[in-house]
Amino acid sequence: MDLLAHLLDPWFIGLIFGGTLMGIVFGAIPGMTATMAVAVCLPLTFSLGLVNGLALLLSLYVGGITGGLVPAILLGIPGTPSSITTTFDGFPMAKRGEGEKALKIAIIASVAGGLVSLVALFFFAPVLAKFAIKFSYVEKFLIIFFALTVMAALSKDMLLGIFSGVLGIFLSLIGTYDITNGGNGHTRLIPPGMDYWLDGGFALLPVLIGIFGVTVILEEAELGMPRGQSLKDIEVGPHSRFSFSIFKGQTLNLLRSGSIGTFVGILPGVGGSAASILSYTAAKTTSRHPERFGKGEPAGVIASEAGNNGLTGGALVPLLSLGIPGDSTTALLIGAFALQGIQVGPLFISQNIDTWNAMITAMVISNLVMLVTMFFAIRWFAMVIAVPKQILYPFILMMCVIGAYTINYGIIFDVWTLLIFGVFGWLMVKLKLEVAPFIIGFILGPSAEIYFVKSLESFGDPFIFFTKSWIAAFLWVLIIASVVMSVILSRRNRSDGAMRT
Amino acid sequence: MENLTRVTIDFDTSHLIFPIMIGVILSLLGLAILIRDRAAIMSSGQMWATTFRDMDKPRFFGALAITIVYFLAMVPVGNIWPNAGYGFLICSVPYVIALGLLFMHSRSRAAIGSMLAVAIIAPPVVWWLFSEVFFLTLP
Repeated sequence: MDLLAHLLDPWFIGLIFGGTLMGIVFGAIPGMTATMAVAVCLPLTFSLGLVNGLALLLSLYVGGITGGLVPAILLGIPGTPSSITTTFDGFPMAKRGEGEKALKIAIIASVAGGLVSLVALFFFAPVLAKFAIKFSYVEKFLIIFFALTVMAALSKDMLLGIFSGVLGIFLSLIGTYDITNGGNGHTRLIPPGMDYWLDGGFALLPVLIGIFGVTVILEEAELGMPRGQSLKDIEVGPHSRFSFSIFKGQTLNLLRSGSIGTFVGILPGVGGSAASILSYTAAKTTSRHPERFGKGEPAGVIASEAGNNGLTGGALVPLLSLGIPGDSTTALLIGAFALQGIQVGPLFISQNIDTWNAMITAMVISNLVMLVTMFFAIRWFAMVIAVPKQILYPFILMMCVIGAYTINYGIIFDVWTLLIFGVFGWLMVKLKLEVAPFIIGFILGPSAEIYFVKSLESFGDPFIFFTKSWIAAFLWVLIIASVVMSVILSRRNRSDGAMRT
Repeated sequence: MENLTRVTIDFDTSHLIFPIMIGVILSLLGLAILIRDRAAIMSSGQMWATTFRDMDKPRFFGALAITIVYFLAMVPVGNIWPNAGYGFLICSVPYVIALGLLFMHSRSRAAIGSMLAVAIIAPPVVWWLFSEVFFLTLP
């Protein structure tokens, strides 16, 4: 009944519609991402309430991930990192005058991937959550530890990835050891003279908005605000006859790529580029014509887009069942929940069944809105690429200020946090530190502390982390497997690099 | 034997356990990076010199300076009319104009005109939406 009420609520539907379109616009402009779209619109959710706020943010997420396909195909520039492999075949298709055809293939593949992941989310998250309810502090700590090791394992440089994650945890501990979570209320790690500002630590959302909003703009400013594309550069193509027959024999590719994307999404902090690369590789290696890949093969576009949209549902699985974000964008969603005073974790779905249903509904509708609008108005969306950055970026910075200032009901230090972490994010890129592990570490740090200290307080035995239960033992197996995998991957990358030189 | 593995957590100092542990791990990781990447770290001066040589200094530092002035001005201006959000509104218009002009490549009349239109229309619309419709606190 509640679900029907949402479906009949024009505000709910309107937010999904608007969010999806705005997400596509953000995704379509190179340099801007779904994460940035969510960060900029986060303050809007203050007054929208949880369900409507989430409908907006999830639609931005779905639209943002998909929007990246437009410049990837028409310009050979991935609009978002997750559309990197879409350029491999989409751009060659556009160059031979099949831009519109490639765009429509990509749109349908995106929707298919998104829906596959939603099915997985719908069935898998509640099961995982029910299982996770049994977890004590020990297992909860090990889950976070596992998330951090997976994230570090998939970093470009394992050591720097781990360092970034631990640095994120360290900075998240600044301020008071929260009484509401069982802490003693004492402060720590606050630099002299900063007690007034840092008593509660750095607020999560200004940190996220700074790193995902301000850093990007500083990077572009450093490069001299590279000129955007003009309308002349965007040629959708005169010979673009699209037919659904292209999808004949591609069902397996769609399902496999959507599933790979979903699985990658479930792994914390891995990101969309890994989803699309793995899907593309799988499609290429199982194809009867692998030699056609990279030269304008529709199956390549299908694999890439179904893969990266598969991420959208997958990344929500650990968030809604364990309280651990699957990627940077879902990390921002934690902020939306926090704004409404709701903690995500194993109990979330069972205690908020209406919100859960509304979230799934919003994502399904968002995928359908995306399909209809992009399929029929793709030529108009293509023009978005030409919006001048000198207009967009000041506006985005202004929105970032609102987001930061309103998070804690008007604290100017949060606005400064935005700038501090914007510059910090720029420095991180220069020092080759990894942003995703840092963010996940920053988000999970306070929970990790509580679970770790409470485990020791409750059991008084450091070995309890190994001996508590079979779940703890199983988690250690996963942790060791991810560390071993990271070492193997790191060695392989090094030997590949050596071979290339 | 069991007593050897038992630890007792003093509640009064429990806020220091995890930060100290993480601090030690962070230091060890930092040390490992220092040892592994010592050559790159030793020559990092070169990297920064290249970064500063190649960067668009007016746009990068200009953006930072304009943003700092914007942040500094918002609260004092807003305090003239408390709780109205005018600090945000009044400061955002020149901020968007200044940053827009800084980021612009060819300052043609048409480009400046469209940028000015956005700078004059967007902040009041955003202020109205958040302050009057959503009742959010703005500086």
